[in-house]
Amino acid sequence: MLRIADKTFNSRLLLGSGKFASPQLMQQAVAASNCQLVTLALKRLELDKPQDDLLSPLKAMNVQLLPNTSGAKTAKEAVFAAELAREALQTHWLKLEIHPDARYLMPDPIETLLAAEQLVKRGFVVLPYCSADPVLCKRLEQVGCAAVMPLGAAIGSNQGLQTRAMLEIIIEQATVPVIIDAGLGAPSHAAAAMELGAAAVLVNTAIASSDNPVAMAHAFALAVEAGHSAFTAGLAHHNNQAIASSPFTDFLAAL
Amino acid sequence: MHIKFNDQLLQLTANCTVAELLIQQQIQPQGLAVAINNTVIAKQQWPQHQLRDNDCVNLFHIVTGG
Repeated sequence: MLRIADKTFNSRLLLGSGKFASPQLMQQAVAASNCQLVTLALKRLELDKPQDDLLSPLKAMNVQLLPNTSGAKTAKEAVFAAELAREALQTHWLKLEIHPDARYLMPDPIETLLAAEQLVKRGFVVLPYCSADPVLCKRLEQVGCAAVMPLGAAIGSNQGLQTRAMLEIIIEQATVPVIIDAGLGAPSHAAAAMELGAAAVLVNTAIASSDNPVAMAHAFALAVEAGHSAFTAGLAHHNNQAIASSPFTDFLAAL
Repeated sequence: MHIKFNDQLLQLTANCTVAELLIQQQIQPQGLAVAINNTVIAKQQWPQHQLRDNDCVNLFHIVTGG
């Protein structure tokens, strides 16, 4: 059971709702993934365009909606976006993300920490997307974040756990759930993150951009479960030389 | 009176509330957030919050995103 703030979740897979070919496909992927936390974003309303009803189907699936602050380049903008999100979805849960640079979308650690501190004081349950920096993750925890969400690799890059060594330190030190966000490009990456002891993973591009997003959502769900089970079971140790699995006797010596 | 409504100039009768403005403009309130002069207006305040001349009203809504 994954516990974040005052809520518990059976699934350790969080799904991002962006980049799907249609809202219907996104909803089918959510259903196939069995996830219980789905991220959403904010946009200025375009008055002349019809609006899809995204929310009713998601609410019917009983998933926790997690609005993000994507688009914010500073702490001030993120706090404003957070307040908009709270009103739009009537939730105080928030994925805080501040990335000023459009090329690599790296989270700004200074603005993220500043915003996190303010948002926690304003009553938000803050889940910050952040660099895989063990010191930053501790600082985010200390200001009251309900989880930390360090990146595996750049958003949408599908490069997997490029930050693996730092993630291991973050997981070892954390007293809040560590959710690996960004860069997970294959179910094997998600399984590896869970085997490290991550509490959960957040996946969007790898599922939404797959040829078959619904099947890929299911594949990620299986991988997350397998990785978590493996972590719970305790992985066997690495060895630098072979250790025989079969009895190494001289029963063929008579030949 | 006039307000700026997502950058468009809009003429309104006096004593118009946020809730009335949304009905008049046929905007669904689900997944919507309203900021007036860069201050977010809580949903519970929409029926009472009176618009003023020269208010800058911006609407935001929930979309898909990661």
